[in-house]
Amino acid sequence: MAVITDTANATTDLPASELVKIFNVHTRTWPDGKPITIVLRDPSSADMQLVLRKLFGMSQEQAHTFMQSHKAAIMIADSDDAVIHFVSSTRGAVGVVDLYSLTKDVHVVKIDGKLPVEQGYLLRGN
Amino acid sequence: MVRTDLMSKFAMRSATLLLTGVAVFFAAEIASGQQSSSAAMESASANLPLTSQSEEAKRLVGEAMRVGLDLVEQEQSDVMLRQAVKLDPDFAMAHLLLAENSLDPAEQVAESAKAVALRGHASPAERLVIEWWQDASDHKLISAITKMNDVLSQYPHDKWVIFMVTNWLTTQTQYERAIAVYERSGITDSPGLLNNMGYCYAYMREFDKAFTLMDKYVAALPKDANPEDSYAEILRMAGSFNKALEHYRAALAIDPQFYSSQFGLADTYSLMGDQIRARQEYETGFQKFPLPELHQVQWQTREAETYIREGDLKGADHAFQSIADDAHSKHMSQVEADTYRQMAMYQPDPKPALALLTRAEAALKEGKNSMPAALHQEQAQILRVRVEVAVKTGNQAAIHALLVRLDEMSGNSNDRLIETAYHGAEGAALFSQHKYDEAISHLEEDKNNPLSLKLLALAYQKIGYSAGAKRTSETLANLNDPSLEQALVVPPFRKCYEDPSCSGTVKAVSLKK
Repeated sequence: MAVITDTANATTDLPASELVKIFNVHTRTWPDGKPITIVLRDPSSADMQLVLRKLFGMSQEQAHTFMQSHKAAIMIADSDDAVIHFVSSTRGAVGVVDLYSLTKDVHVVKIDGKLPVEQGYLLRGN
Repeated sequence: MVRTDLMSKFAMRSATLLLTGVAVFFAAEIASGQQSSSAAMESASANLPLTSQSEEAKRLVGEAMRVGLDLVEQEQSDVMLRQAVKLDPDFAMAHLLLAENSLDPAEQVAESAKAVALRGHASPAERLVIEWWQDASDHKLISAITKMNDVLSQYPHDKWVIFMVTNWLTTQTQYERAIAVYERSGITDSPGLLNNMGYCYAYMREFDKAFTLMDKYVAALPKDANPEDSYAEILRMAGSFNKALEHYRAALAIDPQFYSSQFGLADTYSLMGDQIRARQEYETGFQKFPLPELHQVQWQTREAETYIREGDLKGADHAFQSIADDAHSKHMSQVEADTYRQMAMYQPDPKPALALLTRAEAALKEGKNSMPAALHQEQAQILRVRVEVAVKTGNQAAIHALLVRLDEMSGNSNDRLIETAYHGAEGAALFSQHKYDEAISHLEEDKNNPLSLKLLALAYQKIGYSAGAKRTSETLANLNDPSLEQALVVPPFRKCYEDPSCSGTVKAVSLKK
């Protein structure tokens, strides 16, 4: 799975701990002050199980409730295409998509200095 | 038969880029960017342009693609592509297609270089395809993925683009994605894509869906041999050997020159356990048909495997050595290395196994007529076998040193085959150290290899995950792939499974079924 931002976002690498804070809505702005909007697939989708485990530390049900209570910060999309479209057209948006859905319209963010194709990447496998 | 060569060096899955629909959810609504402009509509209905000074060369490439995709007549297709590049030596896409389609390793290397060098003569879309290919070959996976998706978004209904993408996905075991791309394309008039999708379902072991597509493929091309040949292969994968034989014979009745079906008969007899009949069928094929180099090697190797299936390792040594000598004389370094590596895999004694692996690496160093990516992949496979030999001898220092090398290769390559070699080797090493949980996380990354599947079933059993052990054992027991790994693992696994007196560790897993 790849973490993506809009192409204007200057953040190219995030520590895993910071990414967890972003997805748990503890960190709400980027270093340049731009507000963070999170966009994800439905937490019940198969692709999202790894994300729930690694970034939210929650079960499906817990994640569902958490997202319901943070509607302003977390958007849910029905496909990777929709995630990419939203992220590419929204300054400050961050999303998670399957590696093979990537397009040139978004930036891939490294986690702890690693890209999704590298050994030891946080969101590898599912 | 399905084409798995074209674009097979690409290690990526497709994205589905038709931006359709609206995302409606409990938290928010996100429009997914449905394309509505006339420009987008035009793009969606466009075909990938081919740039050539010669209309005849363009026609030949189109025909080569049709013959290659729908009829799986690879050699005929190559002849047309060679004619096309002769008519227009600057035709970059034709060089690329020939590089990917050729059954001659030297031609693959030469044509690939020409495609890259000539891409400046091509249209932006063709350049994108060539660079996608190049990035994938160079293991720049993320860049390759975005380029592939760019091509797909521009030409979502182009038959050849869909073919390249789905074929690539298939070789990368991304079958569901391949099917999704095909279904979104709306293409219903391509027999070749029906064939490819039938294989995708078969690889997912959804044989009912595969047979439905095969029925359609046969109906679409009743006078061609490949539909029957494909049907036969999928029946064989499902374990219906006698029906498979019938369909291979039907293919040969339609076209007595369709040699793939002759060798399909041989492969099927081998999997059925009749090695004498299998060798007769292989020899019939070799006598009747002049074969391209890579097909010759492929079926010579299968014939050599028949000796392993009947436990005649001397016979296997003799047959494999003959292939290695032939490859050496023809300067096919990767083929020679691969043959020595396979010989090492079945040696019961570590000493000759290591000697063979040294010979494999010597061939690899020569590197003649081989794509760099293929040489890297082969090196990783050799290291994997070295780890397996070191595990047998309990040489922990060697295991550690080899795994460091493989890990480094894997980390730097972005190549799925190299990654699975690393995971298979690491999993085997951890399993031997009784670190089952850690072994499982690696073995699960190499689920298409019977060697890893066997260890995975055992590891699941060791940690008390009976459902996983049962599922994995069933997968393993039902593998009907005519590969060396299958020959080494599956027949003894089945034998133990069926024998109540067998008390080996494999049986301990199987009994839980």
